[in-house]
Amino acid sequence: MADLEIKNLHAEIDGISILKGVNLEINKGEVHALMGPNGSGKSTLSSVIMGHPDYEVTEGDIVLDGESILEMDPEERAKAGLFLCFQYPVAVPGVSISNFLKKAMDARHPEGKAPAGPFLKEMRENMAFLEMEPAFANRGLNEGFSGGEKKRMEILQMMMFKPGMVIMDETDSGLDIDALQIVAKGVNKMRGADMGLLVITHYERILTHIAPDRLHILMDGRVVMSGGPELVTKLEEKGYDWVREETAATA
Amino acid sequence: MPTLALPPATEPALLPGFNENVLETARSGEPALLQAKRTAAFEAYTQIQNPEAFHEEYRRLDPKKFKFGSFTRLDIPREAIAYNARPVDEHYDVVISVTPDGIAIEDRADVTGGKVTVQTLQQAALDHTSRIEQHLGTAIRSEEPRKFFELNGAFWNVGFHIHVAKNANLPKGILLRYHNDREGTALLPRLLVTAETGAEFALAEQFTSPDGVSTLCISCREFHLAPNANVKLVSLQDWGNVGIHIGEDWARVQRDAKVDLFSMTLGGVVSKMTVGCNVCEPNASAYLGGLFFADRKQHFDQKTLQFHSAPDTYSNMLYKGAVKDKGYSVYQGIIRALKDCIGVDAYQTNNNLVLDPGSRADSIPSLVIDADELACSHGATMGNLDPEQLYYLRSRGISEPEARRMLVLGFFEEVIERVPFEVMRDRLHEVIEEKLNPFARD
Ligand SMILES: Nc1ncnc2c1ncn2[C@@H]1O[C@H](COP(=O)(O)OP(=O)(O)O)[C@@H](O)[C@H]1O
Ligand SMILES: [Mg+2]
Repeated sequence: MADLEIKNLHAEIDGISILKGVNLEINKGEVHALMGPNGSGKSTLSSVIMGHPDYEVTEGDIVLDGESILEMDPEERAKAGLFLCFQYPVAVPGVSISNFLKKAMDARHPEGKAPAGPFLKEMRENMAFLEMEPAFANRGLNEGFSGGEKKRMEILQMMMFKPGMVIMDETDSGLDIDALQIVAKGVNKMRGADMGLLVITHYERILTHIAPDRLHILMDGRVVMSGGPELVTKLEEKGYDWVREETAATA
Repeated sequence: MPTLALPPATEPALLPGFNENVLETARSGEPALLQAKRTAAFEAYTQIQNPEAFHEEYRRLDPKKFKFGSFTRLDIPREAIAYNARPVDEHYDVVISVTPDGIAIEDRADVTGGKVTVQTLQQAALDHTSRIEQHLGTAIRSEEPRKFFELNGAFWNVGFHIHVAKNANLPKGILLRYHNDREGTALLPRLLVTAETGAEFALAEQFTSPDGVSTLCISCREFHLAPNANVKLVSLQDWGNVGIHIGEDWARVQRDAKVDLFSMTLGGVVSKMTVGCNVCEPNASAYLGGLFFADRKQHFDQKTLQFHSAPDTYSNMLYKGAVKDKGYSVYQGIIRALKDCIGVDAYQTNNNLVLDPGSRADSIPSLVIDADELACSHGATMGNLDPEQLYYLRSRGISEPEARRMLVLGFFEEVIERVPFEVMRDRLHEVIEEKLNPFARD
């Protein structure tokens, strides 16, 4: 049984069906890429996995480490080891980065309070690694951040929380090459036997920095094609129309 | 035309508990100047109608809620009493403490006597007669008659004068704390602040009382800023759960001077605060910061007046409020610029969090502009916590109640972060957290 199993997942929002039977299996130690045209349901899938309250799962299951997480609140899913790098992280004015990270670390600590000293040290080290100024920690969370700063903030959290299963929703979109390299540096540092990773993207570019073991193609709410890294090149050459033709032929 | 004023009375209008006899008690044994000031204020007080629910200013706060008639003016002894130090006092240069038993002025840093004066108004009227004569009761605009400003002027039972001389400054600032533990009594504090050219200092005020003890407070503070002076006030209304508060703050700001008036309303059961600034010479500026959080049937009403009586003047106002558990808050503000005042910049923002459907917040911003050329903006927002922010925090493992607390504190932070005293910021965080914790109260 895989560490994360998405089984025949159907989900809707406001009564509109978006996911129509997604199947995916990801193990720790693996990096999977999920690609698909705009509107195919990639962000919806990440929201549903994380437990966004607006979405309703109508069929299927999401199983993490052998247990269904469908009934769990987002905070329980996070504490069970799920982490979502948001495509559009929301700004939270008045809540400083350091305060926010401390509260999130407290929530994970068995006694409900992460000791301040080690916490600060770890935060500073990770920030330095991601080339963030120390004073940045006093800023309001995502408040007035550039696209690159927001994504770095997401990676910083991933590095602090050390999740077992990470979903990155178009983390590369809107990033220049320098910012993308820093993001990739953080991800590659975390990569290892303890973490599974689903890289959702629209472009192949990020996959040259974060090499996937598997690639899946999502179209109209279904995974229509899966393959090894060679599929990345094929898709690059032939585009989604080729995928449509292929899947129409097999359907 | 929007106004904050009550109409004139056709015959003398007295509120229960505040009449000629009480005036006589207040006047007795005082310096002649103060007696004259009280009498003049009394006259003005009787010539303004008593507030009624049908008056525009009281449409959202029935004056019956002030329960006039159930409170007796405290007779606070003028003799100094022993000073009781508290741990927070170390954060201030001077601590003034007032209880029904008397007053204590503690100069902890040896700053007064020279460039800084902190005295009772009675003493100041003897030592600095002309200064008091010129400033006491004059910060207010004559065309904006204020019933409670005048009532306090006639009946105040504890008064202080703070004067900071030319270019002098206070490193830590002054704390004025009032505590009233006498059931059925009225405290009427009066404060006169005069800052000379280039003077700089910050003042904190805090009002406390035990839960369950009914008290009334009618406070009045006046600030006179000479050119280039810089004065900050942080006032924390922290009364126990049945306190009633009426407050009037008025500042007159001259050329290149800057006043910051922070009004924090968190305690008591009914509260009505009016804060007005008159930026009256070019390049004068004022910042009005407000924070209010009404829960458990608290009813808070705040009014602001940004009055621009000279060209090239600046004022900025940010009031942030939250309501929950049948709390009710009202914000009403007026920006007013006189004709021929070009180059005025005036901003007014009121943001409200309505944390449950049983609570209510009203917001009525308005502009009264006679000037033609000015940059003005006013706006209000109203709403519950943002579900996407809540989801974001929860997706990081933070529980829903904790995430709500963080968001409410974050909402208020825009005002709190500008508050000059760290101890005050801490206390604000603490009270807000208490209000958000369903188990800490009751
Ligand atoms: N709140 C919503 N209400 C209705 N439809 C939505 C909503 N959010 C997304 N959708 C629709 O769901 C589909 C998938 O969207 P999304 O998951 O954002 O796609 P992707 O991330 O692959 O671009 C789109 O057709 C989009 O219009
Ligand atoms: Mg998307």
